[in-house]
Amino acid sequence: MAKTILAVDDSGSLRQMVAFSLKAAGYEVISAVDGQDGLNKAKEKTVDLVLTDQNMPIMDGLTLIANLRSLASYSKVPILMLTTESSDEMKAKGKAAGANGWLVKPFDPKRLIEVVQKVIG
Amino acid sequence: MMTQEKITKKGKQPLTSKTVPLAELRKLLTAVSDHGAQHLVEVETDLNQTTYLLSGAIEKLSASFMSIHEAITAQQQEIDQLLEAIDVPEDEYQKVLLLRKKIGDEVNAAVTGLQFQDMTSQLIARVIKRVDGLRESLDALAAHGQDMGPEHEHAEIVKLLNEMSANLNVRNTALMGGLIKSVTQQNMNSGEIELF
Repeated sequence: MAKTILAVDDSGSLRQMVAFSLKAAGYEVISAVDGQDGLNKAKEKTVDLVLTDQNMPIMDGLTLIANLRSLASYSKVPILMLTTESSDEMKAKGKAAGANGWLVKPFDPKRLIEVVQKVIG
Repeated sequence: MMTQEKITKKGKQPLTSKTVPLAELRKLLTAVSDHGAQHLVEVETDLNQTTYLLSGAIEKLSASFMSIHEAITAQQQEIDQLLEAIDVPEDEYQKVLLLRKKIGDEVNAAVTGLQFQDMTSQLIARVIKRVDGLRESLDALAAHGQDMGPEHEHAEIVKLLNEMSANLNVRNTALMGGLIKSVTQQNMNSGEIELF
């Protein structure tokens, strides 16, 4: 059974490229348009991995992670940030919030898949 | 103060509210504000149009990319069936594999390239916020200019001008603080990856 990944990004083109890359590698993808949408969809179905952007309207990525980590069902689900942010300060905030990794945009599909496979198989 | 002393030494009247060209100063501040605001409206309009065009372009490019990829995938499946059905010389088979790898590499490069809109739209949004902040500063400049009247003494006008400067500084600081740059990419090379 294919593993499911929740991809959260406010950019339509990014969501499309992420979904395209992950589906081509055999994963099921659920897309969300911002942190709040991502949180709602994560509650509907516990996914195997969350891949989230940081800068989004309504709810940003760090807040989404903090909310997810407060849920028992997401205490151990890997969460990766996929963002344009690349400062050490932001990475430290991500790590403190409970992120398991940091990917700086733009992503290379091949490398994205390698990381996802390493994290969830 | 230097100007005031020079004028006094030359035997002219000391600088007072009556000698400060208040009407001209107010006119200047209003003109700076109005002209600046007009240009900023144009800048904002162009930026919004750029965002719209970029968004439309990337949407079409993405749709074409998906269609091409779908067609190539179907074509590759047909080729696989043909290769199984007929006896193909090894060198021809290797050529097909090489082409397949090249297509895969180009697809990856296209996926990386198609992400540019996300970064450019973030940068444009930041510029628009800066334009809004600048417009507010210009509005404040004109409003302060209107506060200066012929009834004000020299010291009061100095005070008003200082308040104007302080107000602009506060606005500038607030704007800078709210515009932390989140996009630092200078090219379309893929970004770094770090697992914690």
